[in-house]
Amino acid sequence: MSVTRLPPRVEIRLSLSDLATACGLSANRVKRLVKLGLVEPEPDAPDRFSSATAARLRRMLRLRADLGVNLAGAAIIVDLVEHLDRLDAELSRLRGQGWT
Amino acid sequence: MPKTGKHRDVAVKFRDYYEVLEVPRTASADDIKRAYRQLARKHHPDLQPASERNQAAERFKEINEAYEVLSDPDKRSKYDALGRDYKGGMDFTPPPGTGRGGTAGDRDTAGNVGDFSDFFASIFGRSAGGTRRGGVRMSIPGSDIEGMLPVTLDDLLHGGQRRITLDGHSLDVIIPRGIRDGATLRLAGQGGPGINGGPAGDVYLHVRLLPHPRYRVAGDDLDMDLPLWPWQAVLGSDVRVDTPDGPVMLTIRPATQSGARLRLRGRGLPRGNERGDLYAVARVVVPTRPSAEEREAYETLRRLASAPADRPATP
Repeated sequence: MSVTRLPPRVEIRLSLSDLATACGLSANRVKRLVKLGLVEPEPDAPDRFSSATAARLRRMLRLRADLGVNLAGAAIIVDLVEHLDRLDAELSRLRGQGWT
Repeated sequence: MPKTGKHRDVAVKFRDYYEVLEVPRTASADDIKRAYRQLARKHHPDLQPASERNQAAERFKEINEAYEVLSDPDKRSKYDALGRDYKGGMDFTPPPGTGRGGTAGDRDTAGNVGDFSDFFASIFGRSAGGTRRGGVRMSIPGSDIEGMLPVTLDDLLHGGQRRITLDGHSLDVIIPRGIRDGATLRLAGQGGPGINGGPAGDVYLHVRLLPHPRYRVAGDDLDMDLPLWPWQAVLGSDVRVDTPDGPVMLTIRPATQSGARLRLRGRGLPRGNERGDLYAVARVVVPTRPSAEEREAYETLRRLASAPADRPATP
């Protein structure tokens, strides 16, 4: 039953059309989201997006569908959750150093 | 992971969807919708801290499945009729004529069964689910799986390959040369199935660089300590040092101070077709157990030095 699987392709950066495909959106829709500031390209390349940005946009789309918030609201939620993640990481780093 | 291959004939356990949504069997459509929204707010994987996200995805799947059934009057009455004799966790045998093999377009249609359980499929078939998640019909990306990918400096320099285990599945991951600490790798389509024709779930791996005993990463550059004996620092010397690319001879100029940064161009981290630099940071160390003759030589130095012996050094 076991099937040999090739290691999947690993992406670090995506083009606009790759990002659209990754999120199930049209390229025009992604362009509009970039214009609205809800999706941010890489600082050094206005037509390239990090994998983390893909994860973020997908998360926003799930939140919109599942919780009934709009994408602007979902962007704020994702920001806050990311902020919590950073605090969590910092906290466990400090705990590792015996701070608490 | 996407489910492929044939559906196996295994005993399924009865799922109490009312229990999952925490509503009584008499709950109205509005009660059910409200309960779903509340549970979704609480258990939605994308609202959880990173460490709990994958686990929350499992719970959220159950909630969605329960909502899929209880929010649809046809499915709910079918479920209620079947469920009269069952409690959650009991072995469940679907009566003949229900479940799989029924509808046309069994898989990979827009309304595929998504991540729903075998129990769900045994009643409603494999093609019945995933059309109304959250009460909306829009395409939704499948849930993603997140993980950490510890990498070594060697992986950054040369690329590498690592086998990781996520959610019980092992995956061979190619680590691209030139990746950085904190970067995210996307492995497309390795997560759960998409909803309403949405793209499948991805795996996202967050790159975490393991500390190296010799080299510290600073952007594209690498720093390393270069301990020097006093005479090497004062008189200058050619010193053989190890670098990630193998040993090189490094010329120490006379009067090199501690903290001086000696650049080895192009021996840092890859960035596109270029590479950053490697800096050897000079650090003058003194012999801890000088021989009698060495002591004598230092005594001579003290006598010869113009600087006062009872003041800190002023180079």
